[in-house]
Amino acid sequence: MSAGDLVGGIDLEVLRRGAGRPVLLLHGAQTVDPRAPFLEMLGRHAEIIAPSHPGFGRSARPADFETVYDLVHFYLDFLDALPHEKATLMGFSFGGWLAAELAVKCRHRLDGLVLVDAFGIKVSDRETPDILDVFNTSPQEVQRRSWHDPATWAPDLDALSDDELVVRARNWEALCLYGWNPYMYNPQLKRWLRRINVPTLVLWGASDGIVKPSYGRIYSSLIPQARFELIERAGHHPEIEQARAFVDMVVKFLNR
Amino acid sequence: MDAWWQCEVPYPFVPQEVLNATDSVRASLPNRYCDPKVAADLFEEVIDEFLLCDDLGLNVLAVEHHAGINSLLGANPLLVGILARQTRHVRLLSLGTLISLRKDPVRVAEEYATADVISRGRLEIGFVKSGGTEMASNNANPVNNIERYWEAIDLIKKALSHHDGPFSWEGKHFTHRHVNIWPRPWQQPHPRMWSATGDPETAAEVGRRGMVHVLVLRGPRAPSAPMPRIARRAPRPACPR
Repeated sequence: MSAGDLVGGIDLEVLRRGAGRPVLLLHGAQTVDPRAPFLEMLGRHAEIIAPSHPGFGRSARPADFETVYDLVHFYLDFLDALPHEKATLMGFSFGGWLAAELAVKCRHRLDGLVLVDAFGIKVSDRETPDILDVFNTSPQEVQRRSWHDPATWAPDLDALSDDELVVRARNWEALCLYGWNPYMYNPQLKRWLRRINVPTLVLWGASDGIVKPSYGRIYSSLIPQARFELIERAGHHPEIEQARAFVDMVVKFLNR
Repeated sequence: MDAWWQCEVPYPFVPQEVLNATDSVRASLPNRYCDPKVAADLFEEVIDEFLLCDDLGLNVLAVEHHAGINSLLGANPLLVGILARQTRHVRLLSLGTLISLRKDPVRVAEEYATADVISRGRLEIGFVKSGGTEMASNNANPVNNIERYWEAIDLIKKALSHHDGPFSWEGKHFTHRHVNIWPRPWQQPHPRMWSATGDPETAAEVGRRGMVHVLVLRGPRAPSAPMPRIARRAPRPACPR
């Protein structure tokens, strides 16, 4: 974990792991835990670059930086600053929304896209929400619907240190700021997904109760070169619940 | 046949030379020409007239216009609230909150449900699209006004008639994550709804929805004459009341 990267004038926390093909990883509601086993496994095949979005983790957020529009343009800066000509872009959950937006805008800098239980589009009718509103659902229910096996994987907040709790509070506040309304989607994005002209892997936890696999299948169908894959016995975070299966699928995609 | 009384509470006390010199008295006349003491007297007089109507058995109708001398009733829900409490017998028609100007239809539904309950079921809800001067003074985009109009009505109708706990709305113009209004309206499933329009397409939709059609005439050249016929001809569901 390193802090102090300066991108677009913003002091950024960036986690780097492994070596190989560059993978820019955009996290979801929580920043990537440096102890997460999938990092070590994937790091044997790829150079993982995982910034914390401005406002999340230990990354700064300027006072007037408060929309997904800002985040997307910030990551365009980030891509410009990468030494690699092309990178694979991977986004989890909320970060999947950002990855899809970036792939629409900056496809020439990407050689692949991986969306994992991604947010970002509106699929169902106006009276049927696609994505569980985590700000309007009891924390217990959010945890129950986040995991295939909540008893094993739901975090024990009482066991976290003060620093870790502060990071979670920052993450929660930033997510709320960026994703409040419309809730976790850009009404215009769906129309432009057809611009994504790089090979795309859409991965989904079969037991995801935050945003269902049926949504992922539609998402995938809107991206011309996308392939959809389910990860069994995983909820919204397959990279955590089924790290091995997740990494195998990503590596297979990287080595295609 | 029902008879309804209305007064738009115009403000006829601006000097003629000021009126002659201004480019519009329906949006741009500075409100320094509105004396609040005179406005208070006007409201008092008009509300007294509404209460007299209640004694006489004449239904009352509250309109809404914004930012001009033709009417001080920019805040229709306030007058409707007063009438809901102060009258006792007659029916009250709000015609209406200019729905495509309001950012939050759920709040409008709350206002109407509250007025319906206070009046113990005497409210009728009218929807009006509004016109050019009101769009300007309420920052409303005129191009997609009709879309907003119907989406707002759909959302208000659901907010009034949905009684099974919170629902969420992710529409084109309105998003609202948690709709669950209290009180619910007195009249079930909801107060009768009216819609004012001057164009054939909207008139037909008003008919299809079984709402009461209000014909808006806009001068002698307006092509409004066949409108009630269009509304009547449109296939419609059973009227909710």
